[in-house]
Amino acid sequence: MKKTEVPLENNSTLNGQKKVMYAVSEKGEFSRVNYGSSVEEFATITAVEEYQNLQEECLEEIKQNIASPIKYFMYKNRMDISTLSSVVGMFSFRVKRHLQMKYFKNLNDKIVQKYANAFGVNIEEIKEFTHVK
Amino acid sequence: MLNNFEHSQFAHCESGVVSTLLTHYGLKMSEPMAFGITSTLSFAFLPIIKLNNMPLIAYRALPKNIVRNIEKVLGVKIFKKQYKDILEANLELTRLVEAENKLVGLQTSVFYLPYMPPNMRFHFNAHNLLVYGKKGKNYKISDPVFEEVVECNEKDLTRARFAKGVFAPKGFLYYPMNIPSSLDYVSILKKAIRKNAKSMLTPFPFAGIKGMRRLAKSIEKLQNNKDARYVKNYLTHIVRMQEEIGTGGGGFRFLYAAFLQEAKTYDLDKDKLQKASELITQSGDTLRLFALKCVESAKKLEKLNAKEISEILIKASTLEEEAFKMLKSI
Repeated sequence: MKKTEVPLENNSTLNGQKKVMYAVSEKGEFSRVNYGSSVEEFATITAVEEYQNLQEECLEEIKQNIASPIKYFMYKNRMDISTLSSVVGMFSFRVKRHLQMKYFKNLNDKIVQKYANAFGVNIEEIKEFTHVK
Repeated sequence: MLNNFEHSQFAHCESGVVSTLLTHYGLKMSEPMAFGITSTLSFAFLPIIKLNNMPLIAYRALPKNIVRNIEKVLGVKIFKKQYKDILEANLELTRLVEAENKLVGLQTSVFYLPYMPPNMRFHFNAHNLLVYGKKGKNYKISDPVFEEVVECNEKDLTRARFAKGVFAPKGFLYYPMNIPSSLDYVSILKKAIRKNAKSMLTPFPFAGIKGMRRLAKSIEKLQNNKDARYVKNYLTHIVRMQEEIGTGGGGFRFLYAAFLQEAKTYDLDKDKLQKASELITQSGDTLRLFALKCVESAKKLEKLNAKEISEILIKASTLEEEAFKMLKSI
């Protein structure tokens, strides 16, 4: 990219930081320049919002006794099933089950504790989950 | 602790860290050089591997490629260690930076680093940073994608070093031990460039030029996809993989173009290098345009023209094909 074409837009996701790219001068030499891109900003915000949407949807499912609080915390921590299963050290089919209320109700404290550690919360916050907005 | 350490900001974490480490231990090396000499430019599109329900798209070789290959390519000896014991990992890091005044590189997750802006925290485990000292319970950190040095407490840094999941770092720590006194750059560069050309021109359909075209095809299919949420997420996912994870896919192209430019100072075919450097810069610009179009379409899905977007990506692949065909015989 030519130095004169480097985008200098605002990117709120970086909290005031600017990233760096290599741009080429008129003499054909490369050097590092700071840039800001609203394209990147939009992509990041979309990903962040997707997790928020999943959380909202999950709260509905919890109300209807379909999904378990573990699912809510999973999305809150921006994880998917494979990430969560490697953090707690269980097979993903087991984790998948624990995301359902009917299996979650029968879980013993030892297993819930593993999830609590993964999410950095107290075990009570998962077991007595009530979401207050 | 190192008192004379000078932080600089780079385009990409791993090449930035390796470049700073080598320079600090006595072998001056720029970031583009560290990136190019290890043949790190790449492309991969693996729809079977899913990250958050989205296909894996990568614009450079696998994480740790630079740390691993720099040893072989330059003949430097690099101390590399992964840990089972969290306590030991922490003690050893403290000893290295406090008692031995060493500068060390670490692989970490992004999610657990408290100084990362909240919106940038995802479970990406292949971030690299430098530790240059410790004050009380806080490590002094030079994160190559930040403008200034930062600090991070022991607890959070340890958590980031032992994050689980894909590319789990397992406390990975590294620093150069000895640097060879003389290097034959001409033959090193020739080998590295040829190797990279070969990997970009591979017949394997999910990598290199062919991988780019495969991704272009999958974008075309989005036109008839009725699931608006999926299409929006897919398009922005491509952009995030390209521009955010590490540095831009466009960014990686500029980095490689800068490397080819720097290679011209050695006794190699200057015309070829110049031409290829220009072509790859163009490809980087094209990829930036591609990202822009993806985002524009994601904002207004009713105006999505998948064919147009996929053709931009194909154009970038054609530019790279031309460049690497030329470089193959350097």
